[in-house]
Amino acid sequence: MKKFLTTAFLFTLAAVAFAQGAPAVQKGLFEGQFTAHLALAIAAAGCGLGQGKAVAAAVEGVARNPQAAGNIRTTMIIGLALIEALVIYVLVAAFAIK
Amino acid sequence: MEHHASLLAKWLTQVLGLSQHAWPGFAHGMPLSVLERYDHLLNAALAALMAMFFTTLVRKGLQRIPGPLQQVFEGVVGGLKEMIDENIAHHGQRYLPFIGTIALFVFFNNLFGLIPALSPGTSNWNVTLGAALVVFGYYNFHGMREQGFVKYWAHFAGPIWWLSPLMFPLEILGLLSRILSHSLRLFGNIAGEHLVAGIFFGLMPLLLPLPMMFLGLFFGLIQTFVFTMLTTIYLSGAVSHEH
Repeated sequence: MKKFLTTAFLFTLAAVAFAQGAPAVQKGLFEGQFTAHLALAIAAAGCGLGQGKAVAAAVEGVARNPQAAGNIRTTMIIGLALIEALVIYVLVAAFAIK
Repeated sequence: MEHHASLLAKWLTQVLGLSQHAWPGFAHGMPLSVLERYDHLLNAALAALMAMFFTTLVRKGLQRIPGPLQQVFEGVVGGLKEMIDENIAHHGQRYLPFIGTIALFVFFNNLFGLIPALSPGTSNWNVTLGAALVVFGYYNFHGMREQGFVKYWAHFAGPIWWLSPLMFPLEILGLLSRILSHSLRLFGNIAGEHLVAGIFFGLMPLLLPLPMMFLGLFFGLIQTFVFTMLTTIYLSGAVSHEH
Protein backbone atom coordinates (compact mmCIF):
# COMPACT_ATOMS: atom_id res chain seq x y z
CA MET A 1 0.00 0.00 0.00
CA LYS A 2 2.83 2.37 0.98
CA LYS A 3 4.67 1.56 -2.22
CA PHE A 4 1.50 2.19 -4.21
CA LEU A 5 0.94 5.55 -2.52
CA THR A 6 4.54 6.55 -3.14
CA THR A 7 4.25 5.61 -6.78
CA ALA A 8 1.01 7.50 -7.12
CA PHE A 9 2.56 10.55 -5.44
CA LEU A 10 5.62 10.44 -7.71
CA PHE A 11 3.39 10.02 -10.72
CA THR A 12 1.33 13.07 -9.78
CA LEU A 13 4.52 15.05 -9.17
CA ALA A 14 5.89 14.00 -12.54
CA ALA A 15 2.65 14.91 -14.20
CA VAL A 16 2.65 18.36 -12.61
CA ALA A 17 6.29 18.91 -13.55
CA PHE A 18 5.57 17.76 -17.06
CA ALA A 19 2.63 20.12 -17.29
CA GLN A 20 4.81 23.02 -16.10
CA GLY A 21 7.68 22.13 -18.39
CA ALA A 22 5.51 21.97 -21.46
CA PRO A 23 5.38 25.02 -23.71
CA ALA A 24 2.34 27.24 -23.49
CA VAL A 25 -0.58 24.96 -24.37
CA GLN A 26 -4.26 25.67 -24.36
CA LYS A 27 -5.18 22.84 -22.00
CA GLY A 28 -3.67 21.45 -18.80
CA LEU A 29 -2.51 17.86 -18.72
CA PHE A 30 -5.51 16.62 -16.77
CA GLU A 31 -8.00 18.23 -19.08
CA GLY A 32 -9.07 16.48 -22.20
CA GLN A 33 -8.24 13.04 -23.47
CA PHE A 34 -5.46 12.22 -21.02
CA THR A 35 -7.99 12.06 -18.18
CA ALA A 36 -10.22 9.77 -20.21
CA HIS A 37 -7.34 7.40 -20.95
CA LEU A 38 -6.20 7.36 -17.32
CA ALA A 39 -9.75 6.72 -16.09
CA LEU A 40 -10.16 3.92 -18.61
CA ALA A 41 -6.87 2.34 -17.52
CA ILE A 42 -7.92 2.37 -13.84
CA ALA A 43 -11.36 1.00 -14.69
CA ALA A 44 -9.86 -1.76 -16.84
CA ALA A 45 -7.49 -2.75 -14.04
CA GLY A 46 -10.35 -3.04 -11.56
CA CYS A 47 -12.47 -4.93 -14.06
CA GLY A 48 -9.61 -7.35 -14.72
CA LEU A 49 -9.25 -8.10 -11.02
CA GLY A 50 -12.97 -8.58 -10.56
CA GLN A 51 -13.48 -10.74 -13.62
CA GLY A 52 -10.42 -12.81 -12.75
CA LYS A 53 -11.87 -13.55 -9.34
CA ALA A 54 -15.24 -14.44 -10.84
CA VAL A 55 -13.77 -16.76 -13.48
CA ALA A 56 -11.44 -18.40 -10.95
CA ALA A 57 -14.36 -19.19 -8.68
CA ALA A 58 -16.43 -20.49 -11.59
CA VAL A 59 -13.64 -22.76 -12.84
CA GLU A 60 -13.14 -24.09 -9.33
CA GLY A 61 -16.84 -24.77 -9.08
CA VAL A 62 -16.87 -26.63 -12.40
CA ALA A 63 -13.80 -28.65 -11.41
CA ARG A 64 -15.47 -29.75 -8.17
CA ASN A 65 -18.84 -30.48 -9.72
CA PRO A 66 -18.65 -30.91 -13.52
CA GLN A 67 -22.38 -31.68 -13.72
CA ALA A 68 -23.24 -28.13 -12.73
CA ALA A 69 -21.12 -26.71 -15.56
CA GLY A 70 -24.05 -25.38 -17.60
CA ASN A 71 -25.64 -23.42 -14.77
CA ILE A 72 -22.32 -22.08 -13.54
CA ARG A 73 -21.37 -20.94 -17.04
CA THR A 74 -24.62 -19.05 -17.55
CA THR A 75 -24.40 -17.36 -14.17
CA MET A 76 -20.75 -16.52 -14.76
CA ILE A 77 -21.45 -14.89 -18.12
CA ILE A 78 -24.21 -12.76 -16.57
CA GLY A 79 -21.88 -11.77 -13.74
CA LEU A 80 -19.06 -10.95 -16.15
CA ALA A 81 -21.43 -8.81 -18.21
CA LEU A 82 -22.50 -6.89 -15.12
CA ILE A 83 -18.88 -6.32 -14.06
CA GLU A 84 -17.90 -5.30 -17.56
CA ALA A 85 -20.75 -2.79 -17.72
CA LEU A 86 -18.89 -0.59 -15.22
CA VAL A 87 -15.89 -0.30 -17.55
CA ILE A 88 -18.25 0.33 -20.44
CA TYR A 89 -19.67 3.34 -18.57
CA VAL A 90 -16.15 4.73 -18.30
CA LEU A 91 -15.57 3.99 -22.00
CA VAL A 92 -18.73 5.89 -22.91
CA ALA A 93 -17.60 8.78 -20.71
CA ALA A 94 -14.21 8.64 -22.45
CA PHE A 95 -15.95 8.84 -25.82
CA ALA A 96 -17.78 11.92 -24.58
CA ILE A 97 -14.52 13.75 -23.67
CA LYS A 98 -13.00 15.42 -26.66
CA MET B 1 -17.13 10.74 -30.87
CA GLU B 2 -15.95 11.23 -34.41
CA HIS B 3 -18.47 10.41 -37.06
CA HIS B 4 -17.53 7.85 -39.69
CA ALA B 5 -20.23 7.07 -42.18
CA SER B 6 -20.12 3.58 -43.62
CA LEU B 7 -18.95 3.15 -47.20
CA LEU B 8 -22.41 1.94 -48.14
CA ALA B 9 -23.94 5.25 -47.06
CA LYS B 10 -21.31 7.21 -48.99
CA TRP B 11 -21.79 5.07 -52.07
CA LEU B 12 -25.59 5.36 -51.91
CA THR B 13 -25.22 9.14 -51.53
CA GLN B 14 -23.20 9.27 -54.74
CA VAL B 15 -25.45 6.91 -56.67
CA LEU B 16 -28.69 8.56 -55.59
CA GLY B 17 -27.19 12.06 -55.91
CA LEU B 18 -28.32 13.18 -52.45
CA SER B 19 -27.48 16.73 -51.40
CA GLN B 20 -24.87 17.16 -48.67
CA HIS B 21 -25.10 19.91 -46.09
CA ALA B 22 -23.79 20.69 -42.60
CA TRP B 23 -25.76 19.47 -39.59
CA PRO B 24 -25.69 21.92 -36.68
CA GLY B 25 -23.78 20.59 -33.69
CA PHE B 26 -22.81 17.36 -35.40
CA ALA B 27 -19.44 16.13 -36.72
CA HIS B 28 -17.91 19.66 -36.65
CA GLY B 29 -20.21 20.90 -39.39
CA MET B 30 -19.00 18.38 -41.97
CA PRO B 31 -21.26 18.29 -45.04
CA LEU B 32 -23.21 15.05 -44.88
CA SER B 33 -26.17 13.67 -46.75
CA VAL B 34 -29.17 12.38 -44.85
CA LEU B 35 -28.00 8.78 -45.33
CA GLU B 36 -24.55 9.54 -43.98
CA ARG B 37 -26.00 11.42 -41.01
CA TYR B 38 -28.41 8.61 -40.09
CA ASP B 39 -25.98 5.86 -41.06
CA HIS B 40 -26.87 3.77 -37.99
CA LEU B 41 -30.54 3.64 -39.01
CA LEU B 42 -29.55 2.48 -42.50
CA ASN B 43 -27.46 -0.33 -41.04
CA ALA B 44 -30.07 -1.27 -38.43
CA ALA B 45 -32.77 -1.42 -41.11
CA LEU B 46 -30.49 -3.55 -43.25
CA ALA B 47 -29.88 -5.91 -40.33
CA ALA B 48 -33.61 -6.18 -39.68
CA LEU B 49 -34.24 -6.89 -43.37
CA MET B 50 -31.51 -9.54 -43.34
CA ALA B 51 -32.99 -11.22 -40.26
CA MET B 52 -36.41 -11.20 -41.93
CA PHE B 53 -34.96 -12.57 -45.16
CA PHE B 54 -33.22 -15.50 -43.49
CA THR B 55 -36.15 -16.42 -41.26
CA THR B 56 -38.53 -16.27 -44.23
CA LEU B 57 -36.14 -18.41 -46.25
CA VAL B 58 -36.10 -21.03 -43.49
CA ARG B 59 -39.87 -20.78 -42.96
CA LYS B 60 -40.65 -21.31 -46.65
CA GLY B 61 -38.33 -24.25 -47.08
CA LEU B 62 -39.06 -26.27 -43.91
CA GLN B 63 -38.17 -29.91 -44.45
CA ARG B 64 -38.34 -33.10 -42.45
CA ILE B 65 -34.66 -33.65 -43.08
CA PRO B 66 -33.21 -30.19 -42.36
CA GLY B 67 -30.72 -28.46 -44.61
CA PRO B 68 -27.76 -26.52 -43.17
CA LEU B 69 -29.64 -23.23 -42.68
CA GLN B 70 -32.61 -24.93 -41.06
CA GLN B 71 -30.27 -26.80 -38.73
CA VAL B 72 -28.66 -23.57 -37.58
CA PHE B 73 -32.03 -21.98 -36.92
CA GLU B 74 -33.32 -25.08 -35.14
CA GLY B 75 -30.31 -24.86 -32.87
CA VAL B 76 -30.98 -21.17 -32.18
CA VAL B 77 -34.68 -21.69 -31.45
CA GLY B 78 -33.93 -24.75 -29.32
CA GLY B 79 -31.32 -22.84 -27.29
CA LEU B 80 -33.67 -19.91 -26.75
CA LYS B 81 -36.49 -22.27 -25.68
CA GLU B 82 -34.22 -23.95 -23.19
CA MET B 83 -33.05 -20.61 -21.81
CA ILE B 84 -36.63 -19.37 -21.40
CA ASP B 85 -37.71 -22.60 -19.73
CA GLU B 86 -34.87 -22.32 -17.24
CA ASN B 87 -35.75 -18.76 -16.28
CA ILE B 88 -39.51 -18.23 -16.63
CA ALA B 89 -41.50 -20.64 -14.51
CA HIS B 90 -44.89 -21.07 -16.21
CA HIS B 91 -45.76 -20.95 -19.92
CA GLY B 92 -42.74 -18.86 -20.83
CA GLN B 93 -42.97 -20.10 -24.43
CA ARG B 94 -45.35 -17.29 -25.35
CA TYR B 95 -42.45 -14.82 -25.03
CA LEU B 96 -40.27 -16.79 -27.45
CA PRO B 97 -41.20 -14.76 -30.58
CA PHE B 98 -40.26 -11.46 -28.96
CA ILE B 99 -37.03 -12.72 -27.42
CA GLY B 100 -36.04 -14.44 -30.65
CA THR B 101 -36.68 -11.27 -32.63
CA ILE B 102 -34.53 -9.21 -30.28
CA ALA B 103 -31.77 -11.84 -30.42
CA LEU B 104 -31.71 -11.98 -34.24
CA PHE B 105 -31.83 -8.19 -34.60
CA VAL B 106 -28.95 -7.64 -32.18
CA PHE B 107 -26.94 -10.52 -33.65
CA PHE B 108 -27.12 -9.31 -37.26
CA ASN B 109 -26.38 -5.75 -36.15
CA ASN B 110 -23.30 -6.86 -34.21
CA LEU B 111 -21.93 -8.87 -37.08
CA PHE B 112 -22.19 -5.98 -39.53
CA GLY B 113 -18.89 -4.75 -38.12
CA LEU B 114 -17.13 -7.62 -39.88
CA ILE B 115 -18.53 -6.86 -43.33
CA PRO B 116 -16.58 -4.26 -45.30
CA ALA B 117 -18.58 -1.14 -46.30
CA LEU B 118 -21.02 -1.64 -43.41
CA SER B 119 -20.81 -0.57 -39.80
CA PRO B 120 -22.64 -2.21 -36.90
CA GLY B 121 -25.91 -0.46 -36.14
CA THR B 122 -25.41 -1.27 -32.46
CA SER B 123 -22.24 0.85 -32.36
CA ASN B 124 -24.58 3.84 -32.12
CA TRP B 125 -26.33 4.44 -28.83
CA ASN B 126 -29.62 5.37 -30.50
CA VAL B 127 -30.14 1.86 -31.85
CA THR B 128 -29.34 0.05 -28.59
CA LEU B 129 -31.40 2.57 -26.63
CA GLY B 130 -34.32 1.83 -28.93
CA ALA B 131 -33.95 -1.90 -28.37
CA ALA B 132 -33.64 -1.43 -24.60
CA LEU B 133 -36.73 0.82 -24.53
CA VAL B 134 -38.76 -1.74 -26.47
CA VAL B 135 -37.67 -4.43 -24.00
CA PHE B 136 -38.51 -2.13 -21.08
CA GLY B 137 -42.00 -1.44 -22.39
CA TYR B 138 -42.57 -5.10 -23.16
CA TYR B 139 -41.72 -6.51 -19.76
CA ASN B 140 -43.58 -3.81 -17.88
CA PHE B 141 -46.66 -4.38 -20.02
CA HIS B 142 -46.54 -8.13 -19.52
CA GLY B 143 -45.85 -7.73 -15.79
CA MET B 144 -48.95 -5.59 -15.45
CA ARG B 145 -51.00 -7.94 -17.63
CA GLU B 146 -49.88 -11.00 -15.70
CA GLN B 147 -50.10 -9.66 -12.14
CA GLY B 148 -52.57 -6.80 -12.41
CA PHE B 149 -51.72 -3.09 -12.37
CA VAL B 150 -51.82 -2.54 -8.59
CA LYS B 151 -50.07 -5.75 -7.63
CA TYR B 152 -47.29 -5.20 -10.16
CA TRP B 153 -46.44 -1.71 -8.90
CA ALA B 154 -47.01 -2.72 -5.27
CA HIS B 155 -44.20 -5.25 -5.37
CA PHE B 156 -41.74 -2.39 -5.87
CA ALA B 157 -42.69 -1.16 -2.40
CA GLY B 158 -41.05 -4.13 -0.70
CA PRO B 159 -42.44 -6.47 1.95
CA ILE B 160 -42.37 -4.07 4.95
CA TRP B 161 -45.02 -1.39 4.71
CA TRP B 162 -43.31 1.33 6.77
CA LEU B 163 -40.18 1.06 4.63
CA SER B 164 -42.12 1.54 1.41
CA PRO B 165 -41.63 5.36 1.17
CA LEU B 166 -37.90 4.63 1.06
CA MET B 167 -38.05 1.49 -1.06
CA PHE B 168 -40.44 2.60 -3.75
CA PRO B 169 -38.40 5.53 -5.19
CA LEU B 170 -35.23 3.44 -5.02
CA GLU B 171 -36.82 0.52 -6.83
CA ILE B 172 -38.26 2.83 -9.50
CA LEU B 173 -34.81 4.38 -9.92
CA GLY B 174 -33.35 0.89 -10.27
CA LEU B 175 -36.00 0.02 -12.84
CA LEU B 176 -35.24 3.11 -14.91
CA SER B 177 -31.47 2.68 -14.70
CA ARG B 178 -31.91 -0.77 -16.23
CA ILE B 179 -32.63 0.93 -19.55
CA LEU B 180 -29.31 2.77 -19.31
CA SER B 181 -27.21 -0.24 -18.32
CA HIS B 182 -28.94 -2.56 -20.79
CA SER B 183 -28.33 -0.23 -23.75
CA LEU B 184 -24.91 1.14 -22.79
CA ARG B 185 -23.43 -2.33 -22.30
CA LEU B 186 -24.20 -3.41 -25.83
CA PHE B 187 -23.30 -0.05 -27.36
CA GLY B 188 -19.99 0.25 -25.51
CA ASN B 189 -18.84 -3.26 -26.31
CA ILE B 190 -19.60 -3.12 -30.00
CA ALA B 191 -18.45 0.47 -30.51
CA GLY B 192 -15.21 -0.18 -28.61
CA GLU B 193 -14.47 -3.34 -30.53
CA HIS B 194 -15.20 -1.64 -33.85
CA LEU B 195 -12.98 1.31 -32.88
CA VAL B 196 -10.04 -0.93 -31.97
CA ALA B 197 -10.43 -2.91 -35.19
CA GLY B 198 -10.47 0.39 -37.08
CA ILE B 199 -7.27 1.56 -35.37
CA PHE B 200 -5.57 -1.75 -36.21
CA PHE B 201 -6.75 -1.34 -39.78
CA GLY B 202 -5.19 2.12 -39.84
CA LEU B 203 -1.85 0.70 -38.63
CA MET B 204 -1.68 -2.01 -41.26
CA PRO B 205 -4.67 -3.07 -43.35
CA LEU B 206 -3.23 -6.48 -44.20
CA LEU B 207 -3.70 -9.35 -41.69
CA LEU B 208 -3.29 -7.17 -38.58
CA PRO B 209 -7.03 -6.52 -37.99
CA LEU B 210 -7.82 -10.22 -38.35
CA PRO B 211 -7.38 -11.23 -34.68
CA MET B 212 -9.45 -8.25 -33.62
CA MET B 213 -12.12 -9.17 -36.14
CA PHE B 214 -12.19 -12.69 -34.79
CA LEU B 215 -12.62 -11.23 -31.32
CA GLY B 216 -15.40 -9.11 -32.80
CA LEU B 217 -17.20 -12.24 -33.98
CA PHE B 218 -16.83 -13.75 -30.52
CA PHE B 219 -17.89 -10.57 -28.67
CA GLY B 220 -20.83 -10.12 -31.02
CA LEU B 221 -22.09 -13.57 -30.09
CA ILE B 222 -21.45 -13.11 -26.36
CA GLN B 223 -23.10 -9.69 -26.29
CA THR B 224 -26.14 -11.03 -28.17
CA PHE B 225 -26.36 -13.81 -25.60
CA VAL B 226 -26.02 -11.37 -22.69
CA PHE B 227 -28.61 -8.95 -24.12
CA THR B 228 -31.08 -11.78 -24.71
CA MET B 229 -30.38 -13.37 -21.34
CA LEU B 230 -30.94 -10.09 -19.50
CA THR B 231 -34.17 -9.54 -21.44
CA THR B 232 -35.33 -12.98 -20.30
CA ILE B 233 -34.34 -12.32 -16.70
CA TYR B 234 -36.09 -8.92 -16.58
CA LEU B 235 -39.17 -10.51 -18.13
CA SER B 236 -39.04 -13.36 -15.64
CA GLY B 237 -38.77 -10.90 -12.74
CA ALA B 238 -41.78 -8.98 -14.04
CA VAL B 239 -44.17 -11.83 -14.83
CA SER B 240 -43.40 -14.37 -12.10
CA HIS B 241 -45.89 -14.57 -9.24
CA GLU B 242 -44.59 -14.69 -5.71
CA HIS B 243 -46.06 -17.73 -4.02
